[in-house]
Amino acid sequence: MTGATGATAALTAVPPYLVVAVASLLVLALPRALGHGLGALATAFVFAQAVLLGDGGTGAHLATTFLGFDVVFFNVDQFSLLMGVVVGFLATAAVLYAYGSDAPKWVASLALIYVATTLGTIYAGDWLTLVFFWELTAVTSTLLVWQHGGAAVRAGYRYALFHGTGGTVLLAAVVVHFANAGTFLFSATNGIHPAATVLAAIGIGINCGFVFLHSWLPDTYPRPHVAASVFLSVFTTKTAAYVMYRAFPEGGMWLAYLGGFMAVYGAFFALLQYDPRRLLSYHIQAQLGYMLAGFGLATAVGEFAVVGGFAHLFNNVLYKSLLFMAVGVVIYRTGVEDIREMGGLWRVMPVTFLVYVVGAASITAVPGFNGFISKGMVLDSAHEIHNYVLLLDSGLLWWLLVLGGVGTFMSFIKLGYYVFFHGSATLSPDDATPFQTAGMLLAAGACVFFGVFYTQLIELMPFTDLILSDEVYFKPYSRSHLTESAALLVAGFVGFFALKRPLGWLAHHMRDVDAVLFPATFYAGRWSVWGVTEAWAAVDRATMRVVAGAKWVAMNPRRLLAAAGVDAEIRAGIGRSVLLLTLTAAVALFALLLG
Amino acid sequence: MTDVLLPLSIAVPIVAATLPLALGLRYDEVGWPIAAVTTLGLVGSAAAVAFEVYTGGPFDHELGGFAPPIGIELVADELSAAVFLLVALVSAATLVLSRVIGPRGNAFHSAYLLLSGGLVGVSLTGDLFNLFVFLEIVGLTTYALIAADRSGASAYASLKYLVVGTVGASLYLVGVGYVFLATGTLNMADVSVQIVERASYTDPLVQAGFAFIAVGFALKIALFPVHTWQPDAYQRAPDAVTTLVAALVSTASAYALIRVTYSVFTVDFLAANDAIVTVILLVSGVSILAGSALAVMQSDLKRMFAYSSVAQFGMIVAAVGIADETALLGGIVHLVGHGLLKFGLFCGLALLAAGYGARRVEDLASLARDAPFASGALAVLGLALVGIPPSVGFLGKWYIALGAVRSAGATGGVVGVGIAAVILASTLFTLAYVARVIERLYFAGVERDPGTAVADGGSGDAAVPGTIPTAPLVVLVAAALVAVGLGFAGAAFETLLDPYLSEVFA
Repeated sequence: MTGATGATAALTAVPPYLVVAVASLLVLALPRALGHGLGALATAFVFAQAVLLGDGGTGAHLATTFLGFDVVFFNVDQFSLLMGVVVGFLATAAVLYAYGSDAPKWVASLALIYVATTLGTIYAGDWLTLVFFWELTAVTSTLLVWQHGGAAVRAGYRYALFHGTGGTVLLAAVVVHFANAGTFLFSATNGIHPAATVLAAIGIGINCGFVFLHSWLPDTYPRPHVAASVFLSVFTTKTAAYVMYRAFPEGGMWLAYLGGFMAVYGAFFALLQYDPRRLLSYHIQAQLGYMLAGFGLATAVGEFAVVGGFAHLFNNVLYKSLLFMAVGVVIYRTGVEDIREMGGLWRVMPVTFLVYVVGAASITAVPGFNGFISKGMVLDSAHEIHNYVLLLDSGLLWWLLVLGGVGTFMSFIKLGYYVFFHGSATLSPDDATPFQTAGMLLAAGACVFFGVFYTQLIELMPFTDLILSDEVYFKPYSRSHLTESAALLVAGFVGFFALKRPLGWLAHHMRDVDAVLFPATFYAGRWSVWGVTEAWAAVDRATMRVVAGAKWVAMNPRRLLAAAGVDAEIRAGIGRSVLLLTLTAAVALFALLLG
Repeated sequence: MTDVLLPLSIAVPIVAATLPLALGLRYDEVGWPIAAVTTLGLVGSAAAVAFEVYTGGPFDHELGGFAPPIGIELVADELSAAVFLLVALVSAATLVLSRVIGPRGNAFHSAYLLLSGGLVGVSLTGDLFNLFVFLEIVGLTTYALIAADRSGASAYASLKYLVVGTVGASLYLVGVGYVFLATGTLNMADVSVQIVERASYTDPLVQAGFAFIAVGFALKIALFPVHTWQPDAYQRAPDAVTTLVAALVSTASAYALIRVTYSVFTVDFLAANDAIVTVILLVSGVSILAGSALAVMQSDLKRMFAYSSVAQFGMIVAAVGIADETALLGGIVHLVGHGLLKFGLFCGLALLAAGYGARRVEDLASLARDAPFASGALAVLGLALVGIPPSVGFLGKWYIALGAVRSAGATGGVVGVGIAAVILASTLFTLAYVARVIERLYFAGVERDPGTAVADGGSGDAAVPGTIPTAPLVVLVAAALVAVGLGFAGAAFETLLDPYLSEVFA
């Protein structure tokens, strides 16, 4: 028993992000295979640590004061642990995948330091530490994008601008929070102080891909190395959703409805995409919508909705990265980034096709896969909301989420259809490399595992006892759920093949907000830079003229006097010195005697 | 027995001053060894006195066995020991410089020894009239030394200083006369008692006496607007003489001002006479600004740092006027620190002038490539003068400004804050002219051809053109290191000077 607690104590003394950060450096120094192996071990340690700490390791560890503020560097509770489990697990798979994808050492190194900062954010026990790692995450992920060069650089700048802005807004929110609450610690308050609500929502919302704040997502994620995309696709956004819950543990209908609109908006724009990674990026936004909907219903529905949100977050990490891996293999092998130029690949890439089907079935919530469990929980929660009732005695929120579900079906049918069927194969690439396969099988296995043994998923979640108790009706494979799923599936197939041509037309004519946003920002930036530069130059010229004048006067005092018509020597000679002295003495005497 | 060191430290240099002239009748070049031996003795004596004072407390010596207040008394306390030590060390260091760059004659060394004796006398005497005598010894030898290179310009500068300085010294004497009339005594300690017993702080005779004394000192210290002798004197004097005069002569006068203000008239006199405090602060504030501004305008290096002294002494006198314990501590630290910095700066300029003929700012172009150590030391000392920590210059200014702000907080007056603001402004000016020097030294981007470097300095017959002699360079670098090292000694200054400060502010 003491041995067990001793081991737990030892584990709580090691912040996992330090381990990963060290591994990130070693990856650069060591040979490629050894370095990647070490990186995978480090992330596997994160996974194991989180699993082990789940048994009595919770608490605020590494609590100290920094700059005079109370901070907690390693905050272990149910929420951070579930994040640690899935991030550790997936990062291990992604490192293997990166090794199999011929990613340069720098990709793995930067990806690991990015994972480390993500873990710092996850395990932060106070807002100060959290915002510190939050900003670092923005920096490291930008570097990971830039590493690829080419088109990724410009996109990386836009990415950095977005996240710099978001980080600053969140920082402001944290400052407002501190000014009102007097502490940074999570434990002292329930979420962020109400005074900072709007700032926090926008700051975190940028990373969550709120509608209209999302354009960095499809802009950035298709550009870097395929292995880097796998890392990027899961950590920033999912951490943001987690932080959103930290900030608003009581949720709010605004968050739920925002989530609903994100689901529809993301799924709709995903339907219009032909770049596979861009398509998947829009689905990140859509899937985040489901999570935020779950968190938003925390008060209206209860813990069930929160667990639904977290379960969906957990599953999303697995299947979203799995999809990025599968698509990445295709891009890696073919070098093509337009699905219309692919086709018939299921014959030549059976493993990749199989993995894609698992991922697609998970994200579209086909029974037997993990997405089915968690999306069902969120939909069930939404079903209890009866505001703005539309058809079938269901409210607007539920309809939004269902509509998003149909859109998701349609777009993954589209993606699968174009990549793997769609005429005969014009390309005949090899299938995934062994390490790519290993990484994908890890993630795919988890997707299936949690879909079948769903109580294991609930075990990892907070409020486990409540969900599994008799008070809560939690039967994922009930007939109503299966019917619902089948209806979605049918609607998806019918929708896709019926709307294929109109969608193709729309894809040519419908642009996202970035069509306006990016040029507007660019020209506004250019004009403001020009204005500021010119204004500064004018001030500078004026100042320099004054200084030059003063200098001339200082250097040529006699010439100035001559020009003014004064003919006098300004350097005091002996006579005038004595006069000055006498005058001074007189003044001093007057001051003293008459003062 | 240590108290015998006090009269010996004054008498021996003055007596030894006759030797170079007397022996010079028979031997050439005998002056330097005599001066060196005497000065070394002076350093030893200063060290012994300082050790005794800082470990055992102040002590005094009655000259000729006549008991004060009739007899003359020599006093070594925490303040005078510090100045004595500075005088001895800088005198010795200057000899190292003058041996290489001149002047060298026996007459020079006689005057030099007289000056040393006079300076030690100023720092040790406890008698108002005796102080006048030593001030006159210092003054007269300084006039002679300034003209030591026999050029027309230096003769004029010397004459100017002679006339103006004599009037100033006379004003001081008039003031002492008034005080003597009011109190019937000349012993400093006794005067401070008798002012209360036989007169009062607001007695017109006492007030007038202080006014004359203060104006006399203002001239000797070279405060604006009675500084007019000083830039000429510093600029025209031979380089080694400038080094000595700039480091010590005004310093001795400023020391005397502190001594007379706080030990003779006492802080209660200042408290009783608001007008005099106002005038002191006004004059010192104007001095700080005007001196700094005039320094920025100069292109002659020695003149630039001469005006800089006007500003720096303005700060020291401001510390006297603020009448705050911290400010006075800052004043004393800056008094000693400024002496050290100016010695180093003028020493560095003298070496660059002797080696490379650099007399104006533009002559310094890229000299750092040829003379890295001298340039580096000059840069360090200049930055210390600006007040970049860690340095003794920062320490002094910091305490003065702190005391100014604190006194403003205590009395709610704007004057203290004003002085602090003026010090800050002067720091910016100082940065401006020091930056000019450093920019020329390091970033002028001029390729120098060693062959064209001609030593056309005033004493150029001594040093080899295009080189920096080793011995003075070592002294210069040591001065720069000490200036930085003393920047860490804030606590030590506080501890050592605390007995004196708590006595005068009792």
